[in-house]
Amino acid sequence: MTPLLKAELLKLRTTRTFAALAGSAFALSLLVVVLTAALANNMDKSDVREMFYGDFTGLFIVLLGVMGMAGEWRHRTITSTILAAPDRTRLLGAKLIAYAVAGVVISLVITVVIMAVGTAILSSRDVPTLGIADLADVLWRNLAVAGFLGAFGVCVGGLVRNQVVAIVGVLVLIFVVERVLLGLVSEVGQYAPTVGAPNDLQGNSFGADDALRPGVALLVMGAWIAALAAAAAALLRRRDLV
Amino acid sequence: MAPVEIRGLTKRFGSVAAVDDLSFEIGAGRVTGFLGPNGAGKSTTLRTLLGLINPSAGEATFGGLPYERLERPSTKVGAVLEDTAFHPGRTGRNHLRVLAVTGEHRPERVGEVLEEVGLTAAADRRVGGYSLGMRQRLAIAAALLGDPEVLILDEPANGLDPPGISWMRGMLREQAARGRAVLVSSHLLAEVAQSVDDIVVIAHGKLRGKGTLEEVLGGSDGPVTEVRARDADALERALLAAGNRIDRDGERLIVPGATPEAVGLVAAEAGIALTGLAPRARSLEDVFFELTGGAE
Repeated sequence: MTPLLKAELLKLRTTRTFAALAGSAFALSLLVVVLTAALANNMDKSDVREMFYGDFTGLFIVLLGVMGMAGEWRHRTITSTILAAPDRTRLLGAKLIAYAVAGVVISLVITVVIMAVGTAILSSRDVPTLGIADLADVLWRNLAVAGFLGAFGVCVGGLVRNQVVAIVGVLVLIFVVERVLLGLVSEVGQYAPTVGAPNDLQGNSFGADDALRPGVALLVMGAWIAALAAAAAALLRRRDLV
Repeated sequence: MAPVEIRGLTKRFGSVAAVDDLSFEIGAGRVTGFLGPNGAGKSTTLRTLLGLINPSAGEATFGGLPYERLERPSTKVGAVLEDTAFHPGRTGRNHLRVLAVTGEHRPERVGEVLEEVGLTAAADRRVGGYSLGMRQRLAIAAALLGDPEVLILDEPANGLDPPGISWMRGMLREQAARGRAVLVSSHLLAEVAQSVDDIVVIAHGKLRGKGTLEEVLGGSDGPVTEVRARDADALERALLAAGNRIDRDGERLIVPGATPEAVGLVAAEAGIALTGLAPRARSLEDVFFELTGGAE
């Protein structure tokens, strides 16, 4: 697994997609935090926590995972990838780990930077901010969600090999399906993969009273990855590369 | 055990058998030409051999093992497929670096194979800017990365200019001289005739002929003689009376299974003056059309 994982991480670093998506996530997250910290009034600690959750990071990390897997079909590189690594299940495993790691690294850098910048701005305005324990609590939750979303994107790309369809599908899932579900049937929507369970983990569950506890949210996210990865692996093993 | 063995290989897509009970093997130190018309099943055979397509029946192995069970497969088999693609935003060198990491090859191998295929100067350019010939050279560099025992190339001359084709021919011969088994599919019959030791011909997914180039060109009829005479009708009657079979083409008579000496003796005994008498050499193209029924 190690050489495969190294190769996937090298693939990530040797195209402009990674830099473009990570850079966009960084710029957007920083802009939102700077504007919020500089302009918002009457912020309490929960508002500050919510500000540091860096919601936009997750979207870019999912897209990175989708493109990392579905892009193999889009650029028709899947043939040479499988020739080099014919055990397709191991290949998918390496991709899942690589994009989870990439998500964690992106989230780590962005969260630390927005925490530093946001705290500096809030302090200059004499607005109470978070202590080290609270910041660490936000950080681990961000990293857990980022790792999950990177792997989730790979699963989607493994199930839907048309990259455009996969990206549009994920956007519809995030911005329409899950939000409608949370609004209409929150007790079901909270188990959803991209907004439901991750938001419960980050304590931002759209006001639902019955939000999942962090441990349960983590289990739900793990179950999503296990189920989707099993389906993607079965499909990948069966698929003829004609 | 042969480096590559295909036994009873069958691949069906729905009701269509793209490959139908195909069996052959290729030997070490030899270049084997894999020929067939479009749609004959060549690419499906090669992709099944390489574990990219799941066979419906039969097996394809390298030293007794299917491709997907090979330990570090790039050290055993190097493959250049017809539609080998690259991420356009990645440089040629980085493409090879990724494969070198996957196959656990020395990092220096990347520079060595780039040098071998003549791509060193373009190695740090993005593949999106490469010509078709440069992409083909990069695909060959990738195949050579693990210094494999078997090389499989599907239409490797596609996109190469005449010097490139000449280089390819030399490369194939050099790989075979080093003891490697080389299987190359191609439509360029004249090119194949210059490069290969053995031939495998398929059509409609079935094996139509195999053997050394000499055996295949020799055919099953033995020698073939082409003869012309002032009185072609009289010569035809004399040859038929002597028990020969005749394929007549105007004034020219083709006599399968007879040497020029035997034909000359029949003509002399019948008192017929000949205007031309020569053994007829069969070209690979003749054999190809004969075996495949001219299907294209």
